[in-house]
Amino acid sequence: MRTVLLASLRTHTRRYVAAVLAVTIGVGFVVATNAIASAARDGMVAGVALPYDDADAVVTDLSGAEAVTLVDRAARAGDSAAVLGWTMQPVRGSRVSDRVDVGAIADDPVLRWQVVEEGRFPRGPGEAVADVNAAKSEGVGVGDPLTVGAGSRAVEVTVVGLVDSPSASVGATLYLPWSEVTAWSQTLYVDSVAYRGAGPEELSGVPGTVRDVDEFVEDRSTELSQGVNVLAYVLLLFAAIALTVAVLVIANTFSILFAQRTRDFALLRCVGATRRQVLRSVRVEALLLGAVSSVVGVVAGAGLGLGLVALVRELSPRAPLGAVSFSPAWLAAALVTGLVVTLLAAWLPTRKVVRVSPLAALRPDQDVDVHTAAGRLRIGLGLALVVGGVGLLAASVAVTSVAPMLAGGIASFSGLLLLGPVLVPALIRLGGGALGRVGGTTARLATGNAVRNPRRTAATTASLLVGVTLTTAVLTGLATARGSIDGEMATQHPVDLTLTATGDPLPTTLVGDVRATPDVAAAVAVEGVRAEVSHGVGDLRVLTVPDDAGTVTHAALPRPRPGEIWLPYDVAPDARRVAVTVGGRDVTLRVRLGEGWDLAGLVAPATLARLGDPAPQAVWVRAGGGADAEDVAGDLEALAVNVDAELGNGLAQRAYVTLQLDVLTGAVVGLLGIAVVIALVGIGNTLGLSVLERGREHSLLRALGLTRRQLRATLATEAVLLSVVATVLGTAVGVAYAWVGNEAMVRPLVDDSPMVLPVRQLALVVVVAGLAGLASCLLPARRAARVAPAAGLATD
Amino acid sequence: MTQILSSSTDLPTSGFAAVARGLTRTYGRGDAAVHALRGVDLGLPVGRFTAIMGPSGSGKSTLMHCLAGLDQPTSGSVAVAGTALEDLDDTALTLFRREHLGFVFQSFNLLPMLTAGQNILLPLELAGRQPDRQRHDELIATLGLGDRLTHRPHELSGGQQQRVAIARALVHEPAVVFADEPTGNLDSESSAEVLGHLRRTVRELGQTVVMVTHELDAAAYADDVVVIADGTIRAHLVEPSADQLVATLRGER
Repeated sequence: MRTVLLASLRTHTRRYVAAVLAVTIGVGFVVATNAIASAARDGMVAGVALPYDDADAVVTDLSGAEAVTLVDRAARAGDSAAVLGWTMQPVRGSRVSDRVDVGAIADDPVLRWQVVEEGRFPRGPGEAVADVNAAKSEGVGVGDPLTVGAGSRAVEVTVVGLVDSPSASVGATLYLPWSEVTAWSQTLYVDSVAYRGAGPEELSGVPGTVRDVDEFVEDRSTELSQGVNVLAYVLLLFAAIALTVAVLVIANTFSILFAQRTRDFALLRCVGATRRQVLRSVRVEALLLGAVSSVVGVVAGAGLGLGLVALVRELSPRAPLGAVSFSPAWLAAALVTGLVVTLLAAWLPTRKVVRVSPLAALRPDQDVDVHTAAGRLRIGLGLALVVGGVGLLAASVAVTSVAPMLAGGIASFSGLLLLGPVLVPALIRLGGGALGRVGGTTARLATGNAVRNPRRTAATTASLLVGVTLTTAVLTGLATARGSIDGEMATQHPVDLTLTATGDPLPTTLVGDVRATPDVAAAVAVEGVRAEVSHGVGDLRVLTVPDDAGTVTHAALPRPRPGEIWLPYDVAPDARRVAVTVGGRDVTLRVRLGEGWDLAGLVAPATLARLGDPAPQAVWVRAGGGADAEDVAGDLEALAVNVDAELGNGLAQRAYVTLQLDVLTGAVVGLLGIAVVIALVGIGNTLGLSVLERGREHSLLRALGLTRRQLRATLATEAVLLSVVATVLGTAVGVAYAWVGNEAMVRPLVDDSPMVLPVRQLALVVVVAGLAGLASCLLPARRAARVAPAAGLATD
Repeated sequence: MTQILSSSTDLPTSGFAAVARGLTRTYGRGDAAVHALRGVDLGLPVGRFTAIMGPSGSGKSTLMHCLAGLDQPTSGSVAVAGTALEDLDDTALTLFRREHLGFVFQSFNLLPMLTAGQNILLPLELAGRQPDRQRHDELIATLGLGDRLTHRPHELSGGQQQRVAIARALVHEPAVVFADEPTGNLDSESSAEVLGHLRRTVRELGQTVVMVTHELDAAAYADDVVVIADGTIRAHLVEPSADQLVATLRGER
């Protein structure tokens, strides 16, 4: 049998290309995940120990105020302590984005864990250092002046150095001396304090949790590692989806190949091969196929992983990626997975091989009868699963519970796949019928070809169905999430952009100038006065919300009542009432906190009248839909500089959140895209194999007068029908699942979360699938068109 | 009554449905070259039922494929219905085939996913032409296919399939119908029926039919018989008697 096995492998190599590709992509995915996860773990864990190298104890679970007390205690005792943490502060000057994380530089040089790359450490207040990688992306250089913070707590600093601070847990963008950072102790997040001079036993009286340094570092490393593991599991989930699709593709490939080789097998049986021998031969074939593709997949995945990590490090130096290290166990698991997947996929088709009777070889030359239909058992089981699954889904919506939703989803989808041989050809006939009215004979032939073997058709489309269903469900889910996040963002940033006076009142012509700026949809002038506010708030514009504010806001701004002042969180005073002083006049107002109107206080018109003569102090701007946040801000910044005003940019923050959602959407779609690519390889493969099978039909058609172009068009139509029907069905099912998911999981948490259909994205999915289907038929169609009209029609 | 036409290099084209001149066809090259046709000159008269006979490997199928524009000759020229085939590119040749030629093959004649009716109309559909209803219905009636039109090929007997193929070959009024061993897979009763139908189209409709066969019984239905061996034409018999035909064939062996 070995000669037969080798010869058959040699003869059929080309027909196995798609199966090899499917396994290779899946295995490569798993290996690349290992590369990325190992690099991420290395990067995350690398700098963890650094801040605690010279510490004798670590104190955690501290508030900002407690950290200040602890540092003072250390100073009194002759010890030293470094606070590791950060506070988000608005930073102006240079190209620094609106709010950045600000950390502290330890007073004790021994506890300074950052390494100076350029310049020097700060020698006192008014000096700062920036993280060298952050400085690159934020455009900060040594010598740049920056304003950090807001209101009376704002400080002017000069960047005197750039430092390397490779800690994923306590790294920040800017580092100021501790004495400066204490001003923001209210908003300071304290991760931990490195204490030098006393061990854990001696610190037993201090607030927070005192811990041994080594133990703390070890725990922290484990914690970060687990974070990376979660990432790896998520990636592996996508790899599992890709491999599931690969199983469908390979199983289909084997079914078709074995059907085509029925006569060969029968002949083997005729000349004396036992069932067992034939079976073993084809199983070894599958095993070899799996081995080859797994090895190729491991090599390709390793290369891809190394390349990706290098690329990310090149593009984004701040990304915490270290060195790639492949784990032997992981690689072995990937290899075994590839083998198991291939054998699993080959199992059922190979079982059919042994049922071939030796007589089949002796019958007159019959073309392979590949007409298969769905059995009653299959239909019954499929229907039961769909009905049961839908019932569970309905139940999950009714009781808003996740468990029945998952079970229902899996059951109904499995049922759908089982019903494929009935459902998919019916849909293809429907689509092909409509197409036939336009496309004529080629469309009719294509429809006939596409449905003649319902099981093969269903198996081919199933792989694409899986990918598309998941993709559309995720797209719809994210679009729905975006809807509610947009609402949230509108409340947080009701005004896109604000221009607030920093010196004299604004000229009345400014509103006109702003309105004339491209991409500005509306602008209103805001009246107010310049005031001094007590309790640490400081110099501030106090404004009244204009009556026509509604033309620029996305959500309602607070309407202060007389006797109230609304202050932004950034300048929150440490009292519930503040004194507001304008030119000697003094009014005490009740404080309410909010956000969304930049750095200013809001009062009622009546209150403003009591304070002084209102003058234009701000202009609020609404940008046009689809405007580029940076462009508009740049244009307005130019206006602001001329009139001594400062620009607040809520739009940029909204753009940032939108960008993050876009990145998330892109990442998920990209990861699912791998499964879709495998599915399309499968469609191309089925078509290619069908073309081999239909050689005689094609030559008959050519003899009867089908031109090459028409033959190619027929195959192209078949490919497009298959892929578009699978995509449309997948989209419908995916959207339905997304609806159930929204009803069962999101509704209970968020009152108002209407489902959002990303119509354009969904349409794009269908179009892309159609085009990809078209692309998948290019090679088979070329091959088919080469058939000579006389070939295969000869009498002998 | 019977006479033997001598092969001539100067055949007139008028009165002939298909003419071949100096036709050679070689497969492969060098030592492996197979000379399927070694210089064939042949004229097939309009309105006659011509059988091409010869032993296996004599080149009769190759000759038919070249005459029908299904295969490109290595050298020489073929004219069918007054059109020189060597001047046509693949697309033009395809269009010519579907306009002017009809085919009946030994097996695998019909497309499995189309019904008998759809198979019959296929050449017209491909050409985007409307069927001549009267001719279509007459053909269906003559061939006795009226109650079989909605059946798919696997639901039909071999003889029925071949009658569908004949209807398909005739429906667009071709200049020549080529039949390649049309009875090769049929029992004797179905064979007689199919051959009878072919002969009737020649007698009653004035159709030109060229049939490749190696069965004497089949050749007996033809008006003329071209005997071919080793890639050359040995005889072109006009209305031969059975004895004459057997004698000519035997002489070849």
